[in-house]
Amino acid sequence: MRGSVVKFTFRRKRISGMLAVVPARERTFLEEMSNFNFPESRSLKLKEVMGYDRRRLVEPGVCVSDLAVFGLRHLFEGGWLQPDEIDGLFLITQTPDYLMPPTSNVIQGRLGLKQDAYCLDISQGCAGFVIGLIQAFSLLEQEGVRKVVLINADVLSRKTSPKDRNIYPLVGDAAAITVIERDAADSVIHASVKMDGTRSEVLMIPAGGLRLPSSPETAVLEDVGDKNLRAKDHLFMDGSAVFNFVQTEVPPLIEDTLKNANVAVDAVDYFLCHQPNRFMLQKLADKMKVPHARMPNNVVERFGNSSGATIPIAVIINLAEQVKGAGCLACLAGFGVGMTWSSMLMRLGGLSFCELVDYA
Amino acid sequence: MNEFLEKLAVILEVDEVNGEDDLRAFPQWDSLTVLSVIAMLDADYGVNLRAADLQEAASAGVLWKLVQSKKSP
Repeated sequence: MRGSVVKFTFRRKRISGMLAVVPARERTFLEEMSNFNFPESRSLKLKEVMGYDRRRLVEPGVCVSDLAVFGLRHLFEGGWLQPDEIDGLFLITQTPDYLMPPTSNVIQGRLGLKQDAYCLDISQGCAGFVIGLIQAFSLLEQEGVRKVVLINADVLSRKTSPKDRNIYPLVGDAAAITVIERDAADSVIHASVKMDGTRSEVLMIPAGGLRLPSSPETAVLEDVGDKNLRAKDHLFMDGSAVFNFVQTEVPPLIEDTLKNANVAVDAVDYFLCHQPNRFMLQKLADKMKVPHARMPNNVVERFGNSSGATIPIAVIINLAEQVKGAGCLACLAGFGVGMTWSSMLMRLGGLSFCELVDYA
Repeated sequence: MNEFLEKLAVILEVDEVNGEDDLRAFPQWDSLTVLSVIAMLDADYGVNLRAADLQEAASAGVLWKLVQSKKSP
């Protein structure tokens, strides 16, 4: 059922720093192309159209908490964040270390964070950066809460089939750590979110939960008719359905957010969207009549699509100096698993750190 | 329909496509081509079709009729 858009407004909140952690191991499309069941010429065409090139993948066994702990230690050692300052820690992931306990508690325990740090896992993915910011801003409404850490992290390469050309060449692993706090200036942030569980099978890992536990049968590679081999333990994506979903649902949601803020498309400096691949972002920009230069699309070609971490990575590799300085007016938009689509209009500026580090 | 057939020919990397041609018979017909056609229909005709709609269309002409029937008035 379609209803009105859920609207959010927040005052006096800001992002004060962003760090991305990416695995040091890099793989190229050309190295992996022979895994696919398609003529080389067609795979090269796919590379050209989608903008696939290099991506970062974890070594076997590396988990979300490993990337997150590495990144938080980096911030502690650099003096950008003190462990005791963390009043809230939200982990947004589709690939937790365990079914239970929450991976956010695993991170809390490994780092010895204080017991009154409010830790929560949130099951979200590609729309999860905006969802996480909404949760962080909401928690900051509490007087006692001064600083919230948002971690968007996934190791989806471990759940994709190397013989599935539909998904394998685009996935990357990463963690993004964002620090959120109060803003001394009277800033206003607008956001909108929509969800549609009737389309939840468009992006899913069928096995491994309690509905269909992993077994030798769910590990068997199958061709479901499109020359791609994947098991029920693997991530499935209906690519053309995702494309249609983004083209039809995301532009109106962004328009709603801008309308609520009374801001014109031309007044937005950058549209910082989730990064599924270059092709979809170019089509989205065309549909919204936004010049490609104002909607960065270069994350997948360098790092792969790392789910909720791609918006921070887009900021870090394209706009680091700007957001550490005077800043810009940014419209963030995420879209993916659920299905969920989210957008947010906010100023990014005065960040104390905005960098990317390798996990080795 | 001519313009539509020309756009299909570009995507399929052939000189020409005729209305009676079965798109599924072209060697370039794969998931990438299907997505490229879906994107073209969305951008140029304002029509969103599913991959299954394309797979079920028996010919380029049948697909054109489907696009016409879905075009917003």
